[in-house]
Amino acid sequence: MALKQVSSNKCFEGFQKVFEHDSAELKCKMKFGIYLPPKAETGKCPVLYWLSGLTCTEQNFITKAGFHQAAAEHGLIVVAPDTSPRGCNIEGEDESWDFGTGAGFYVDATEDPWKTNYRMYSYIKDELPKLINANFPTDPERMSIFGHSMGGHGALILALKNPGKYKSVSAFAPICNPMQCQWGKKALGGYLGSDVSKWEAYDATQLVKSYPDSHLDILIDQGKDDQFLSAGQLLPDNFIAACTEQKIPVVFRLQQGYDHSYFFIATFINDHIKHHAKYLNA
Amino acid sequence: MSFRSGSTREHETSDQSTGRSASPPVPESSETEAEGLIFYHMDLYGSKDRFDIFPEELSGQGDRSRGDTRRESALSSEKFQRSQEAGYDLEREVAELAKMYGLDEDREKELELLGGHLEMVESRWPPAHTEKQQGLPGEASQDEDQSKAIAEDETESHIWSREGLSSSVMSDEWNSQAVSEEEEAANVFCSTCKMPIRAFDKLFGEHKDHEVAQLPSAVESEKEEIHKNMCKLEEQIAQMENFASHLEEIFITVEENFGRQEQNFEVHYNDAVQVLAQKYEEQLEALGEEKRQKLEALYGQLIHCGEHLDTCKELTDATQELYLENDKASFMKVKTFNWLEEFLKKEVDLKLSTLPDFEERVIDFSEVEQLMNSINTIPAPCAPVINPQAPNAATGTSLRVCWGLFSDDTVECYQLCYKPVSNETRNGEQAAPSPPIIKSKKIRSCENAALVCWESRDINPVDSYMVELSKLTDEENGNIITESIVGIPNCEVLIHLQPMQSYRICVRALNLGGSSERSEPVLIHTTGTYFCLNEDTAHPLLAILDDGFTIACDELENPECDLPVYDNSFTRCIGILGSLIPFPGKHYWEVEAEEDTEYRIGVAFENTPRHGYLGANNSSWCMRHIITPSRHKYEFLHSGMTPDIRITIPPRRIGILLDYENCRLSFFNAEIAQHLYTFTLHFQHYVHPCFALETPGILQIHTGIAIPPWTALP
Repeated sequence: MALKQVSSNKCFEGFQKVFEHDSAELKCKMKFGIYLPPKAETGKCPVLYWLSGLTCTEQNFITKAGFHQAAAEHGLIVVAPDTSPRGCNIEGEDESWDFGTGAGFYVDATEDPWKTNYRMYSYIKDELPKLINANFPTDPERMSIFGHSMGGHGALILALKNPGKYKSVSAFAPICNPMQCQWGKKALGGYLGSDVSKWEAYDATQLVKSYPDSHLDILIDQGKDDQFLSAGQLLPDNFIAACTEQKIPVVFRLQQGYDHSYFFIATFINDHIKHHAKYLNA
Repeated sequence: MSFRSGSTREHETSDQSTGRSASPPVPESSETEAEGLIFYHMDLYGSKDRFDIFPEELSGQGDRSRGDTRRESALSSEKFQRSQEAGYDLEREVAELAKMYGLDEDREKELELLGGHLEMVESRWPPAHTEKQQGLPGEASQDEDQSKAIAEDETESHIWSREGLSSSVMSDEWNSQAVSEEEEAANVFCSTCKMPIRAFDKLFGEHKDHEVAQLPSAVESEKEEIHKNMCKLEEQIAQMENFASHLEEIFITVEENFGRQEQNFEVHYNDAVQVLAQKYEEQLEALGEEKRQKLEALYGQLIHCGEHLDTCKELTDATQELYLENDKASFMKVKTFNWLEEFLKKEVDLKLSTLPDFEERVIDFSEVEQLMNSINTIPAPCAPVINPQAPNAATGTSLRVCWGLFSDDTVECYQLCYKPVSNETRNGEQAAPSPPIIKSKKIRSCENAALVCWESRDINPVDSYMVELSKLTDEENGNIITESIVGIPNCEVLIHLQPMQSYRICVRALNLGGSSERSEPVLIHTTGTYFCLNEDTAHPLLAILDDGFTIACDELENPECDLPVYDNSFTRCIGILGSLIPFPGKHYWEVEAEEDTEYRIGVAFENTPRHGYLGANNSSWCMRHIITPSRHKYEFLHSGMTPDIRITIPPRRIGILLDYENCRLSFFNAEIAQHLYTFTLHFQHYVHPCFALETPGILQIHTGIAIPPWTALP
């Protein structure tokens, strides 16, 4: 697949680039950000995938999160794709900010008119890693995933649905139990139809219950003053309870005074990068 | 000559007129002229910056030698002209300046150049002035060429002198003027006569057989030459300056050396003089002694003589008496005859017992000579001072000796002499001590050091202790002492060791009576951090089980009961401190706890308040596990504060990493290598592990574990 470089900026002696390509899964042009640390010039590096939340594009994370220094230090390639297919001209895709454009929810839609293009799950799981591994100096065996909010949900479900694929997973204020929150119900209903049993496959709290092994080390940071936490959109307690039950190792940190913004992400991004580096560089 | 000059003048005029037409419009030049400063900028002739410093010296010297006389006349005529212009002050000023900067020749040249323009500028100049100016070319016409030539020659050498006056505005205009003028006036350089001439002259004048070159190029090469010379001159100056400062330094050094030598000589000569004086005294004394002896001997002889005389006299008297005896029979009876005969038989020793002469005394100057010869330039150095033996400076077969030299003497090498000191003092004055006993349970160690303590079980006084180490390798030389530390005053020592090794350590006690036998050895492994529990700090309700590393609490009732409380023990918190080796680097240990045990584990300063709870103050940091009805709750406490952290898998084996280097204290679920929490802080003092129980239960402490790789900073 042909990659077209959209931008390149030197950062902490590495390069933050943005590429565009034609996606076979999503049947449209897709952009993604990729940070290549200085180590990538001379050797293969592990890859850390970041999934952004509602309304984000590939730009938010690379401009706001402040992850470059830690990524450069630990020699990690960081890939940040977009949050949904764009420009597909599907009716209703721009109606709301929490469904359609910018709100792919990292599922493979089964409902019309979404099912042709809205296949973010497969895009992230298969097409994107294949593309990245073919075009950049990556170590295909070492991959980890993390994200924020809807992206946190995406990271958790991708890790839980693919045991062994990711060396580690972490999340910032993830939507832990979409089946039980307003966002999730709207999105899952819209993409997957009204059969709730079909939703379970994309719900982290549900997936944990049937997760086969416990070789995952999950780190979750949640701002205590997050409006969406209090609004019941995130429901981390459910996830923790399920993990406790299933003996999945999680360290969940409730951070006093922090909200849902990228300021919160920027504060703790280093801890997450270190968490992943521990497993990716082991 | 007149013809020539005339023709010259004509030619010039025509030249100049041509030049005039070719040159920039006159009004410009006349404007500038009107200022009255007829200086033009010579910068077209090469770098002028370098020559700023030489206005005085070189002006009026150097290349002037040529054609001086001719010029002189021109000058004088010029000056004559000038002196007549008394009323024109500016002119005089200018002239003075010109003289100062050696611009006279240039002035001539200017005037030459002006010659053609004078008609133009007539109106601007006061008529009298003009006339005089005009008069010049005619009067000095003969010398015009030469003077101009010389002026041109000397322009280079005066470039720098022009610098100071180059601020005038019209310089550029004049430049172009000057160039065009010159080219017409004289544009060829005669190498034979070494002067510029006009091409015309080459063809028709006295120069027609001479070598010529284009004037500009000649000028260029001349400039280059001079430039080179100037460079060389600069170099020389730099060299001389360096040399001068070097000389100054040498000056000082000479003085210093002199001072030292002086002192040296004084000392040596004093020595020599002293020796001489000493010799003198000695000889004198010997002489006196000899005299005494002689006198004594003589005196003795004298006495002897006296005695002899007395005896003789007595005999004489007796004999005479006898002689006068009338009784012939009694006369014959007396044995006086025998006396006399006997007496006379005796020899009379009339020899001198001793000679009046004194023996020759040779004055022995050899020593003095030696001394004199040893006065060389380098005095013998003062004695060095050996440092007292430092601990850790000896092994079983080697010793490290350090000394210092506390004088400025020159030393070529040192010579070390040693001899073993015998044990002769062991003559029953004092008995050697008995070997101490190492407190093996109290040994604290880490990867890089060990803290060993022992007790002396002796009534005999002990001066110091000596520790002997042997590093255990796979070979069977475990008894070879690899290191010994001597001079230890107290019953404990901190030894630096290498990581991942095993050592056998014993201690000896020493006093004047000698050294004790070796104590029982202990084994130390530097694979991890080993510490023991400090029983003195245990809360009364906390029991330490036999293995020394398990603590248990049976009941919680009445934590402040009336069980004996020691000064150092916890009173409220059912806790205990460990005794960690006070050594930097990393330390790791693990604590095993049942899921239902509530505990606090972490680190604390030695002086953490015994009445407080671990983690509730600012001298302790700990992880606390409590069980609520719904879940396990984990807190990471310091100063009573904790972050809000949920952990899904209750750790049964908690790994604690104390990292002084990287300023952190980290807690891990050691079974699954999961990082739980890290305190990031710089410890101001060394800390000790601390443990406390909040429910009846058991905590099992594991030490000596190598630091796991998953605890490393990623």
